[in-house]
Amino acid sequence: MNKFKSSCVLAALIFGTTLFLAGQEPQVPASNPPPPEPPAGAANGPHPGPAAQLPASGPRAGGATKPAAQGPPNRAAMMRKFLGIGAPPDPAAVDRGQKLFVANCAFCHGSTANGGATGPDLVRSVVVLHDQGTGKDIGKVVLNGRPDKGMPKFNMTEAQIKDIAAFLLSRTQAAANRGSYEIQNIVTGDAKAGETYFNAHCSSCHSPSGDLAHIAAKYDPVALQSRFLYPRDRRAFGTEGPPPNPKSEITVKVTLASGQSYEGRLDHIDDFSVALVEPSGEYHSWLLDAEKGIKVEVHNPLQAHADMLPEYTNADMHNILAYLEKLK
Amino acid sequence: MKLNRISFLLALLYVPACLFGQALTPATILHPPKDTWPTYNGDYSGKRFSQLTQINSTNVKDLKLAWEYQAETGDSNPFGTEIKATPLQVNGVLYFTLPDHVWAIDARTGHQIWHYKWKSQGGIHIGNRGVGIYNNWLFFETPDDHLVSLEKDTGKFRWAVQIADLAQEYFSTAAPLVIGNHILVGVGGDSLDVPGFLEARDPETGAVQWHWDTEPKPGQPGSETWPNTDAMGHGGGMTWISGTYDPELNLIYWGTGNPNPVHAGQGRKGSNLWTCSIVALNPDTGKMAWYYQVSPHDTHDYDAVQTPVLFDGVIDGHKRKLLAQASRNGYFFVLDRTNGKHIVTAPYIDLTWSKGTDANGAPIPNPDKEPKPDGALVSPASGGGTNWPPPSFDPETGLFYVNADYSFSVFYLTDTSAHPEGFAGRDAGIWSQSMLKAIDYKTGRIRWSHKYRVEEGSEGSGVLTTAGKLVFSGDPAGNLIAFEAATGKILWHAGLASSVSNGPITYELDGRQYLIVAGGPTIYAFTLPE
Repeated sequence: MNKFKSSCVLAALIFGTTLFLAGQEPQVPASNPPPPEPPAGAANGPHPGPAAQLPASGPRAGGATKPAAQGPPNRAAMMRKFLGIGAPPDPAAVDRGQKLFVANCAFCHGSTANGGATGPDLVRSVVVLHDQGTGKDIGKVVLNGRPDKGMPKFNMTEAQIKDIAAFLLSRTQAAANRGSYEIQNIVTGDAKAGETYFNAHCSSCHSPSGDLAHIAAKYDPVALQSRFLYPRDRRAFGTEGPPPNPKSEITVKVTLASGQSYEGRLDHIDDFSVALVEPSGEYHSWLLDAEKGIKVEVHNPLQAHADMLPEYTNADMHNILAYLEKLK
Repeated sequence: MKLNRISFLLALLYVPACLFGQALTPATILHPPKDTWPTYNGDYSGKRFSQLTQINSTNVKDLKLAWEYQAETGDSNPFGTEIKATPLQVNGVLYFTLPDHVWAIDARTGHQIWHYKWKSQGGIHIGNRGVGIYNNWLFFETPDDHLVSLEKDTGKFRWAVQIADLAQEYFSTAAPLVIGNHILVGVGGDSLDVPGFLEARDPETGAVQWHWDTEPKPGQPGSETWPNTDAMGHGGGMTWISGTYDPELNLIYWGTGNPNPVHAGQGRKGSNLWTCSIVALNPDTGKMAWYYQVSPHDTHDYDAVQTPVLFDGVIDGHKRKLLAQASRNGYFFVLDRTNGKHIVTAPYIDLTWSKGTDANGAPIPNPDKEPKPDGALVSPASGGGTNWPPPSFDPETGLFYVNADYSFSVFYLTDTSAHPEGFAGRDAGIWSQSMLKAIDYKTGRIRWSHKYRVEEGSEGSGVLTTAGKLVFSGDPAGNLIAFEAATGKILWHAGLASSVSNGPITYELDGRQYLIVAGGPTIYAFTLPE
């Protein structure tokens, strides 16, 4: 029973087990791209955890200077599947329905249907949720009104009611599908203060004209914020993801009791074994309890990033991002 | 002829005994024999501590695989095939689940006896924690919010009742808990701000016996912790992990989930009772005896559903009836379970979301660490210091064992309106480290901590302790590990194809002690060699 799943653990070390969909750890060879990141909420009970995150954002395409749309294009679609949310309504019907809604219903229910001065929120309405975009349940209320609650009747055709139902379905799906949420502007910090912080804490390893030159052209702000906190290559669900970055590669030196030593890329480590791949491509592994006197030295070039996490204030984080955003 | 008629009547009386194996009575569940694991936690206390000693700290090194069983669903589940269920073991049969599926397998050999598949109408298929058994009936919950009852010996369908509304984005993962003639069913769901509740259902018909709402009604005590009726009516607080029960006090203890909208607090100013709380209810009426809120006004998804573990201990020289929870918010709590009075609060990981605790031991949220449009860096991440995997308490060491994560996440508020909806925010996981912690219940201090030698964290595995002076759990690299309970020294391990994905259990059959764990789609059984 001492079989180890080295590929998974390799991926865990380099790309983060936290990103795995628990129980779906892919058996990929070491050279393959890291496993996909599942949407938030995948691993933990009804709620999301660090064990399962969509990337906050994705790489910027082709060094474009205009911020790319946040996240991979299929983020919302993947989350729709995970959450078991039905198919999206016809966009043309949603458009027509929105116009009808704004003209006839928004005065009481608000233009986005989440409640107004006199009418209730319809996005979380049980009637709307049961209607599912068909117009059958909503139609009764529209055509008959709710005199007891002060809602008048509306003379609408069946097609108009269906369009309004499509619009309301799009609103409930937008609220329910957290994969579709857009993060607002996060470049709010003081770039000057960020530069000062950078020079004091980061410049021993990084340089704005060297490794970080044009970094802000490669990533949108949300991805960049996640990456400077901990520069893990986040692979979006359903994409191949970036190739492993040799700079963030964890290496290990194993010295045996005989004095013989091996160095290379860490392939696997846990409490019981260690495995590495030498620059020549040769693979070696050892059981720690079988190899008396074995010495294992792991070098994680990202360790300083983990050590910094408890140190940042929100202002530090935002200032550093504002500074890095200048490195287009 | 009269004699024949009597024989016939006698035969009729025997029919149930012929059709069904030995029933699991509520009285047996109260005092579980060593050859069974009859409820989610093995017994009502939630300790997950077994008196069995055949496998112990001196011979655990010889533990060997007895059999394994791989569950095949034939479904494609976007969440993968991971057994999160704690199996029940009754009369030599193991019962476990995946979403929409139940299996009965031979507890001695792993051979399949039956497999039942529920035809689903949808819902979030994230996991299922297992079944409940009452006499000859088995009960489980489905992603599309049904309580389904089967005949335990045959897997034959009896009935199904709806327990929540799928259209409102409820989904159900909990293991039903049998107490007397009550089937307690909890629910989940937080995509669209629905209220949480807990129900007792009739084992014969599935009818509602009582219904407890996580939120108060307008004008009731607790309503002052919500700004208005609308916020209170959409306040969340799900009940998705089985609770515990003290028969002497006749109280059940249940943890409630986070308030909704999950990451936006601006529309629900106040402490938001009874979300993120431990509540004590009467199992016959659902009436609340007391509550203790572990995360007032949560905005980080720190459900407080983790098992409220019951044990008796000595505090300041006095014997007390205690309750302990290692909560998702990173704090360990000890309460007096007779009245909910606070005894200990101590962080079991380094955390940044709170400014400390108040006079009642309740954490005070730090407003700087609430989700922000441009992000707030917070420990722990939304998955928490621990999550749903069950912890364990060993009365012999006095230590509470929990798989913990030290983790950071950036929390973004995406809906800044006065009337936010849904999750209303996102969080980006940054980094985490997994470890097993042994906590001294009297002080909350960490007696020992084993940091797994794998850089990143995981969802974590459940924990089992035994009178063999052992703690069993799993690491993120797929190892099932036996630790010495007092010291944390590793005594044995086995590499599985997937990390331990449920709470391990143990039982004795034919004089032989078995250790059962799930890893991904597989159930593994370990025993000592003959």
